[in-house]
Amino acid sequence: MLLKLAWKNLWRNKVRSRTIILSIILGLTGGIFSVALFNGLTEQKLSNAIETQTAHIQIHKKKFLDDYDIRKSIHNHNLVSKTIKENPLVKGYVTRVVTTGMMTSASGGSGVQAFGVDPKEEKKVSKIYDRIIDGKYFEGIKKNPIVIGEKLAEKLDAKVRSKIVLNTQDKEGNIVGSAFRVVGIFKTNSSNFDEANVFVKKKDLWKLLKANGSIHEIAVVVEDEDLSDKVKEGFVSKLDSKLEIETWKEIQPELAVMSDFSERVYLFFIAIILIALGFGILNTMLMAIFERTKEIGVLMAVGMSKSKVFGMIILESTFLALIGATLGMILSITLISWTGSSGINLSAFQQGFESFGVGTIIYPQLSIGFYFQLMLMVILSAILFSIYPAFKALKLNPVEAIRSK
Amino acid sequence: MENSIIKIQGLKKVYNPDTIPVFALNGINLEIEEGEFIAIVGPSGSGKSTLLNMIGGLDSPSEGSVEIGGIKIDELDSKKLIDFRLKNIGFVFQDYSLLPVLTAKENVAFVMQLQGQADQKCNKRAEELLTAVGLQERMNNRPAKLSGGQQQRVAVARALASKPKFILADEPTANLDSKSTSDLLDIMLQLNKEEKITFIFSTHDQRVIDKARRVVWVVDGKIDKDERK
Repeated sequence: MLLKLAWKNLWRNKVRSRTIILSIILGLTGGIFSVALFNGLTEQKLSNAIETQTAHIQIHKKKFLDDYDIRKSIHNHNLVSKTIKENPLVKGYVTRVVTTGMMTSASGGSGVQAFGVDPKEEKKVSKIYDRIIDGKYFEGIKKNPIVIGEKLAEKLDAKVRSKIVLNTQDKEGNIVGSAFRVVGIFKTNSSNFDEANVFVKKKDLWKLLKANGSIHEIAVVVEDEDLSDKVKEGFVSKLDSKLEIETWKEIQPELAVMSDFSERVYLFFIAIILIALGFGILNTMLMAIFERTKEIGVLMAVGMSKSKVFGMIILESTFLALIGATLGMILSITLISWTGSSGINLSAFQQGFESFGVGTIIYPQLSIGFYFQLMLMVILSAILFSIYPAFKALKLNPVEAIRSK
Repeated sequence: MENSIIKIQGLKKVYNPDTIPVFALNGINLEIEEGEFIAIVGPSGSGKSTLLNMIGGLDSPSEGSVEIGGIKIDELDSKKLIDFRLKNIGFVFQDYSLLPVLTAKENVAFVMQLQGQADQKCNKRAEELLTAVGLQERMNNRPAKLSGGQQQRVAVARALASKPKFILADEPTANLDSKSTSDLLDIMLQLNKEEKITFIFSTHDQRVIDKARRVVWVVDGKIDKDERK
C-alpha cells in the first residue's frame, strides 16, 4: 500500500520528478564516464609500463640498480630460475643482461640502457615485439641486430638497417664499443622509454661486455597483477638474501602512487555526484512536503502512523534515486561499452600523453562491481538526504496542517 | 446517559495561557449517545471546530477530559492516539481531502489497508460503501474527475470504511450546492437510521441543522443551548 502510494505520489508533479530524474541521469553518467575515462587512462599507463618495462616482479643483485655495475650479476641464476619456475602463480619469466652506455650514430648520440635478451623467450614477458612500427623483431639481420625506440631513432637519425654504435664498459672496466644494425623500431606509449632503451641479443651483449653467462635481471610475470606481492613474498622466503626482489610498485613508485591516487579521485567524483544528487532530492522532497502539508495532516488525522508517513517520504525519494540511477547506469554502461571498444581518440594531446606514458586512444573502463557499489551508495544517499524532509513531515501538527491551504 | 459513547467533562482549551489567554473552549460538558445525528452550531470563532478537534483526538485539552468508549483519549500518547483514531473515528473534512493520486475505491480502501486488512477484503468493502453512497459507476475515477458532491460522498464512504464508533464531519456541506447537500444528507441520514452510525457535525448550514436530531449551540467556548428534536 505504501509502495503504491509513494509511487503514485512520485508522478503527481511529473515535470518536477522528471527534472530531478534527468539531473540524476546526467550527473551520474557524467561522473561515471569521467571515472571510467580516468580509470582507462591509469590502467593503460599501468599495463603499458608492466607489459613493456617492468613486468610484475624484477630480481637483481642488491645495489645493482644504484649504478648498473655489470659485475653485480645474479649468481646461481639457474637455481633462482628453478625456484621461480616452480611457483604456480608465475606465468612467465626471462633472464636479461643489462648495461648502460652511449648509443651513437653519424648524427648524434644518446644515453641508453641496453638489454641483452633472448628474443623468443622475451615474448613471454615483454610486448615490445608487438610494438614494432618499422622492421621486424630480431628477424632479417643476423649479425648484431638491435631493436630501438622511435624516439631514439629520430634522435640518431637511424632507420631500419642503419648502423649504430653502442659504447659501454666491459666487465674489467674498459671502454668498449660495438656496431649494431637496426632490425626493428618500436613505439610504446611512453616516448621517454622509447628514447632510453634498446634491445640486443643476449649473446652479443655478453661478447661486448666480456661477461659470458652473466645475468643482471630476471623479469617475472604473474597470473594476476594483484598477486605480485604474494609471489614476491614467496620468492623472498626462498631466494638468496643478497638478491633484491621488487614488484612493479617498488620499481616505479610513481605508478603505484598514481594507482592509489586514482582511487581517491574516484571517491572524490562519487562524493560530488552523491552530494549533488542528495541535495536535488532534498530540495524536491521539501517542496513536495510543503505542497502536501494539508494532505499529510489528513493522513495523520485518519490514522496513518508516523512510521508510515516517514516510510512514504523515504520511499518516494528512493524511487526517484532508483529510477535516475538505473537509467544513468544503463546510459553509462552503453557509453563506456561503446567508447571502451572503439576508444576515444585524443591525438590532439599526443605529445603530452606520450610523455605521460599513455597512448592517444583512451579506452574508458570500469568494473561491474563499481556499478553495484555506486547503485547502493546512490540509494543510501537518497535515503540519507530524505531523512530531514521526512522528519519535517512528522513534526507537522495535524490540526494546523489540515487548516493550511 | 447510559448509552453514551462520548463523555466530555469540564473541557477547556486556552491559547496563549501565559500572555493574553484566549479561551477557545471554556468548560464544555457534553455526552453523546450511540446513533445520534448531532449538529454543533455556532458563529465563527465560537469554538465548534476546536471542540470537534478535541473529540477527534487531533488537539489536546488544557483542562478537562474527553472519554470515548470508556477511554480518556487525552491521556493516550501520540502513537496510541493515532491508532485509536484509525480504529474508532471517521473523519469528513470540509474540502473532502481525498488523496488525488488514488481512485475513489483506492481512497476508501486505503484506511482499511492502514488497519492492516487484506487487499481483497478492503476492495470488497470499498465497493460496497461506494455503492451505498451511490457512486458504483465512479469507483475507478480519481477525485479530479468527480464533482464536489461526489467527492464528499467518497469522503463519507472513506470515513465509514474502518467501521468507526462515530463520524466527525467538519462543515461537510460548506462547499456543496443545494442538490449535492441534500443528496449527502439523505445518505448520511440513511446510514444513521439503518446502520446506527453516529454522526457529529460542525456546521453553519441551516439545511444540516434542520435535518439534525440534536443541535448543540456553542458560543464563546461554552454550550449555549442543547436542543433535541
